[in-house]
Amino acid sequence: MFAYYLQLGLRSLRKNPLLTLLMVLAIGCGVAASMTTYSVFRATSNNPIPDKSSQLFVPQIDNWGPESTQHNKGEPPNAMSYTDAINLMRDKRAKRQTALYPAQMSIVPTDPSMLPFRETSYAWYTDAFAMFDIPMLYGHPWTANEDESHAAVVVIGKELNEKMFNGVNSVGKNINLNGRDYRIVGVADRWNPEPVFYDVTNTNGFDDPIEVFMPFTRAVELQTATNGNNNCSHDPGKGWDSWIRSECVWLGFWAELPTKSEADAYRSYLNGYAAEQQRSGRFRWAPNNRLRNVTEWLEYQKVVPQEAKVSLMVSLGFLLICLVNTVGLLLAKFMRRSSEIGVRRALGAPRKEIYLQFLIEAAAVGLAGGVVGLLLTGLGVMGVSLVFEPDVAKLAKLDLSLVLLTMLVAVLTTVLAAFYPTWRAAQVQPAWQLKSN
Amino acid sequence: MMHIKPILAALKRHKAGTILIAMQIALTLAIVCNAVFIIHQRLERVQRPTGMDEADVMAIHSIFVGLADNNAGPLIQADLQALRQLPGVQDAVSINSYPLRGGGWSTGVRTDVDAKDSKAHTTQYFADERVLATMGLKLVAGRNFRADEIVQADPQSVPDPSIVIVSKALADKMYPDGSGLGKPIYIGDTKKPTTIIGIVERLGVPWNSVWSDDFYENSLIQPVQLTGPFTNYLIRSKPGQLESVMKAAPAALVKANRMRVISKERGVRSFAQIRDDAYKGDKGMAILMSVVCLVLLGVTAAGIVGLTSFWVGQRRKQIGVRRALGATKRDILSYFLTENLLIGVVGVVIGALLAIGMNLWLVTQFEMARLSLVYVLIGVVALLLLGQGAVLAPALRASRVSPVEATRSV
Amino acid sequence: MLKMTHLSKVYRTEVVETYALRDFNINVNEGEFVAVTGPSGSGKTTFLTIAGLLETFTGGQYHLDGVEVSNLNDNERSRIRNEKIGFIFQAFNLIPDLNVFDNVEVPLRYRGMKTAERKERIMNALERVGLASRAKHYPAELSGGQQQRVAIARALAGSPRLLLADEPTGNLDTQMARGVMELLEEIHREGATIVMVTHDPELAARAQRNVHIIDGQVVDLAEDPRFHHAVTSARAGSPA
Repeated sequence: MFAYYLQLGLRSLRKNPLLTLLMVLAIGCGVAASMTTYSVFRATSNNPIPDKSSQLFVPQIDNWGPESTQHNKGEPPNAMSYTDAINLMRDKRAKRQTALYPAQMSIVPTDPSMLPFRETSYAWYTDAFAMFDIPMLYGHPWTANEDESHAAVVVIGKELNEKMFNGVNSVGKNINLNGRDYRIVGVADRWNPEPVFYDVTNTNGFDDPIEVFMPFTRAVELQTATNGNNNCSHDPGKGWDSWIRSECVWLGFWAELPTKSEADAYRSYLNGYAAEQQRSGRFRWAPNNRLRNVTEWLEYQKVVPQEAKVSLMVSLGFLLICLVNTVGLLLAKFMRRSSEIGVRRALGAPRKEIYLQFLIEAAAVGLAGGVVGLLLTGLGVMGVSLVFEPDVAKLAKLDLSLVLLTMLVAVLTTVLAAFYPTWRAAQVQPAWQLKSN
Repeated sequence: MMHIKPILAALKRHKAGTILIAMQIALTLAIVCNAVFIIHQRLERVQRPTGMDEADVMAIHSIFVGLADNNAGPLIQADLQALRQLPGVQDAVSINSYPLRGGGWSTGVRTDVDAKDSKAHTTQYFADERVLATMGLKLVAGRNFRADEIVQADPQSVPDPSIVIVSKALADKMYPDGSGLGKPIYIGDTKKPTTIIGIVERLGVPWNSVWSDDFYENSLIQPVQLTGPFTNYLIRSKPGQLESVMKAAPAALVKANRMRVISKERGVRSFAQIRDDAYKGDKGMAILMSVVCLVLLGVTAAGIVGLTSFWVGQRRKQIGVRRALGATKRDILSYFLTENLLIGVVGVVIGALLAIGMNLWLVTQFEMARLSLVYVLIGVVALLLLGQGAVLAPALRASRVSPVEATRSV
Repeated sequence: MLKMTHLSKVYRTEVVETYALRDFNINVNEGEFVAVTGPSGSGKTTFLTIAGLLETFTGGQYHLDGVEVSNLNDNERSRIRNEKIGFIFQAFNLIPDLNVFDNVEVPLRYRGMKTAERKERIMNALERVGLASRAKHYPAELSGGQQQRVAIARALAGSPRLLLADEPTGNLDTQMARGVMELLEEIHREGATIVMVTHDPELAARAQRNVHIIDGQVVDLAEDPRFHHAVTSARAGSPA
């Protein structure tokens, strides 16, 4: 019967090409608009590290006090001062932990004909490699000892390795950063979590992959400035030394706490730490800390751009209107055939068969709408760079899952829209025909 | 004028279709009102002036490799000298940021040394006395810096200045009676007063996102030449020579000193490009919303045409009978127009409420302004007209139904 | 075959109750050809729609082929319509979007028949009404008489036990009407039970038995004083 109904449906659709076209275009536009914006929303609301998103935590310590935090609903600063970061590193209460910041690093090629260039660079502790599951192509991360000895070592990214060493194993070779030589101990394979959860504060969640990883201790020793934000509640005074002793916040901090009990223990440790700071007179307020995991952190930092939310919302409204429209047009289309339905019912078609016939016809409309929607979604995904930052826009892509989703949404929503018209069609009484003539 | 009662009676018999059209009109009104509002807001932002004379201006972002914060000063001076000597260059300046750049310095300012809270938020620009000429700012009161007033400073240790040039918006904010010139302000949490020596008509902040909207024109310029390895060169070419300067300037900088990075992507930009980059999102959003609105109105009109055609088809015989009983073409036409108007009125009333509700929700969810009722009113009129326009074709077809139809049995 | 006892059908609106059929009794035996006549509004079409299970009734009993139908649900009624009853409508009621072959196929589709059997039955039925060569034509391309023949073929294709015809010649000219009538007689001779509603006494006369309905009741023509008046008004020719 399915084939029969499909055939009937297609025939009926052909009979009213304009009405059919109208429905198909309406569904296509609605689906395309929502899928295009969804592709951006999906990319921005993606879980960047699904296996560990509930095990990696960002501690926040209120080192500014209520006078400053009252402007932010009492939330502590979203970055850490050097003092607190170093204290937390020293106490080492998490399985793994790291302080980090984007360092200002330029690469100076040995070839004198090439100009220096910049790559995204981060200074952190070696624990970060294991915490963030960074795959290694060659070599290994540096050791904890090298962290302590402020060693001049680096791990470079795959792209930089291609650029500088034509992709061969460069472990043991030197690379010149900011005019100083560093020994390469490892080459990281492509690692590009979306969004870049490890440094949301400075990137808003979207940035190029990291190509230079260096020990935090080394970067600080060389007074390497941060490439990210620096926020001060009070004038830090003059020079590097007063800056790192100040309450200015500019560091990210991550702790790996695999179990709930470890997270709870860390929470009470943070409170103890803040209480101790209060006792020592550094904080003149009660402990006000936060410990958020990846998911909570991305949510709190509002990584999904406002544009993505608003346009997704508008597109869904758009889809809704297209569907209301489809309900109306299908109703008109089906009811125009009430005489046919009456005859079919008189000839012995049970209601079920009428349902089936018209839902299949609607599904055919939905399928056609899906195909149009797919083409428009393709165009739309190409066009998102108009609306979104290039960093965000390039994440939106038309992959297999989006293609399937587009078709599914088109067919499902159309069939959904067809329920009412089909119900009306099935209500047509078989006797109607005999009477009205 | 038609009697409305029989129309209402007929609509009662087509509840589903009536509700669908009304619903579609309501939803369309709600979305279009909010979308047009967003478009208008975005376009208003895009057209905001920076206070600069933007033609013939370009910017280069340069980073010296391996230098600390306190020793790039002489290199920057050398760069400026090289740039200012280039043929086609009218003036050039080194500055920490500029309008629409996206990143910069900001701080609170007070007029009362003992006040705890700042009176206004402002951006801080650091540049020498050539900045007014390079940016093309209009000095409306006071004077420019003198060359001997410029100090060199490490970005980690910028001294509190004794003099400053401020934008008129900031001056008026600090001293509402327009008497800002010559008065003291306190920058950040310093106790040292800074005297306003000049006021420029307008100067925008480096940001263009919503968070900076409430201090968009609050700017001050400090007579400071930063000595950090990061700097932005703003260059004004002689009229019409921007294109050649865009090529010559980066080359001159590399020639002056190779140990620097000028990013390929955003290192060298004309101000037109800077403006484009800054407002890309706003423009895109406006385009997206416009497309959505247009398609939406089209879809709604199409829906009305479709359903009304169906009704006309269903009622051919009835129309024939009316014609046979003496109804004129005009009567039939106005019957359908009135019918649509009734549905439309119900739709727009619900839609207006929806539009306001939706906006209130958006206000709570996003940093969005309140919807002005003018948009709703315009939307109401537009959708009623759209409905009348859409119903016209089927209604005309109905009016052409011949009275003979009354006698046909099938 | 078809037996109605004390059957009634009431149409209710907010204001009034109208009896379309009242204490209605009729018995049609297997193999009979019965013509039902009566003036406009007498209830003959209501009778036919109830007989064809197109509509439910208010009171009394109706046995179709030995089955009491009043308690059947919509699906069961659909199945009986499909398998036991063939309809011939005054307005033919062909589906304009389907060609002759596809129209005749419609009831067979709902019976879940195999393609081969369907095709055989359709071609047989079309041959029977003399339209096998028009299988690919659309209803609009046929004359009224031909359309009614297609409708008859559609009714016959499912080999129904009971044929219900509502003014089968009402929309046809005299010559076409005669052809259709001859076809019905032929089908009857082959053993089908036919109930035909008509207001045409000439047509009614060709049936085996005449049943006359006035005001929703079967009346004996010879005894009822209303008879003469009824016949006069029927001849005046207001359509059903």
